[in-house]
Amino acid sequence: MRRITCPERNDWRATAEAAGFDFHTIDGERYWDECAYYALTLDEIEHQIEAPSGEIDAMCLELVGRAIDDENYLRRLKIPEAFWSLISESWHRDEASLYGRFDLSFDGRGPAKLLEYNADTPTSIFEAAVFQWTWLEQAIERRIIPGHADQFNSIHERLIDAWKKLGRECRLHLTGTTESAEDAGTLAYLEDTARQAGLATTLIDIEDIGWRDDGSFVDLDDRAIELAFKLYPWEWMFHDAFGELLAKAPTRWIEPPWKAILSNKGILPLLWEMFPGHPNLLPAFFDDDPNAARLGASFVRKPLYSREGANVALVSEGMAVVEQHGPYGAEGYVRQALAALPNFSGQYPVLGSWLIDHIPCGLSIREDENPITGNTSRFLPHAIL
Amino acid sequence: MKRSRRVVLTMMGTAAAGAVSMGFVPRNDCGTERLLQRGPDGRPTENCRVTYGGFGGAPYRLHAQGHAHGGG
Repeated sequence: MRRITCPERNDWRATAEAAGFDFHTIDGERYWDECAYYALTLDEIEHQIEAPSGEIDAMCLELVGRAIDDENYLRRLKIPEAFWSLISESWHRDEASLYGRFDLSFDGRGPAKLLEYNADTPTSIFEAAVFQWTWLEQAIERRIIPGHADQFNSIHERLIDAWKKLGRECRLHLTGTTESAEDAGTLAYLEDTARQAGLATTLIDIEDIGWRDDGSFVDLDDRAIELAFKLYPWEWMFHDAFGELLAKAPTRWIEPPWKAILSNKGILPLLWEMFPGHPNLLPAFFDDDPNAARLGASFVRKPLYSREGANVALVSEGMAVVEQHGPYGAEGYVRQALAALPNFSGQYPVLGSWLIDHIPCGLSIREDENPITGNTSRFLPHAIL
Repeated sequence: MKRSRRVVLTMMGTAAAGAVSMGFVPRNDCGTERLLQRGPDGRPTENCRVTYGGFGGAPYRLHAQGHAHGGG
């Protein structure tokens, strides 16, 4: 794996905006960054990213199967008891998942390590599926990168295939915080792929979802919401006013409620418990577990529920040396072994391994000068060389 | 080979897509609830009581200015 600086396409901003990628720059700071790209070998992709991602997914599903009806697991994950049945029923009905993204630390010199799993509301899928592919094609054309370059990327067509399986007979509603340009862009892209799969679609802001007293969630046209993709996390749904109505409505959600088990950093110690020593896992414990002392005085502390690096702290010799502030942590923390992100010219990359319908099929890379990846960490393209 | 075969967007990046993706569906005048009404034949003409705004509170609870967004 290498980080290679390269010239930017001089029209990349116009290309981005023509494709609807309006959030290429966020609050004046570069988000899409093509001043460099990461080059990986095909062997690294196939044997260090793709195959392990399939294995990690299988381990996660085994964990869900074990936890789904086990009060001990559900309490350790701090999932509110009021939603245990909703979660269990979605699992036993085999409600399908569309996608997820593993965040991995990898430097080409050892196995990739799972940092966490964005199982419920991963973003950067448009950049991963479309824009970095456009970059590859144009960069080859313009001789910015070698002509034989390739990319680990079949996300787009797999999304379309997955939508076909999920619900051609239904109208799909897509919902989220549409005021966010990034979330609106992600929703627009997923809507595009759903339309290409033949689904009728409606986009609706999360606040505009209504509850009709016949027992249905409805849109602004008073149409019942049968199938809904939400870019809004389960842990937020549970605590919203309509949370108590979730079990009463026939709406099928994507991601399904059972994904709430995986969208929780508590899976890190649980996976380590089930698969100790696995090469793609880092040792991890719940913060209040006496066994956490095995990690010593240096570890990463992460809230069970947190997003975009918020409230994550790198603790070295008992001192928090890097800490992102934020509003999370009320449900408790986990400790994960401190595996420093690789440093490529002062940049710390995190690899995002995408699964669509449980199939590993794409890679996204975010980097930052800060070893904790956050919302403003830049997206860089990759190539297989 | 890991190349994606062909990536086509049919909605994003066009003016038409902009209108669609805004999700512009005019909110009807139902308000927070609408009472049952009956027409001249005694049949109900409306039977909708809908309340809105029950999702979406988390960004405001978590971030004072409501900056949080659902994706991560």
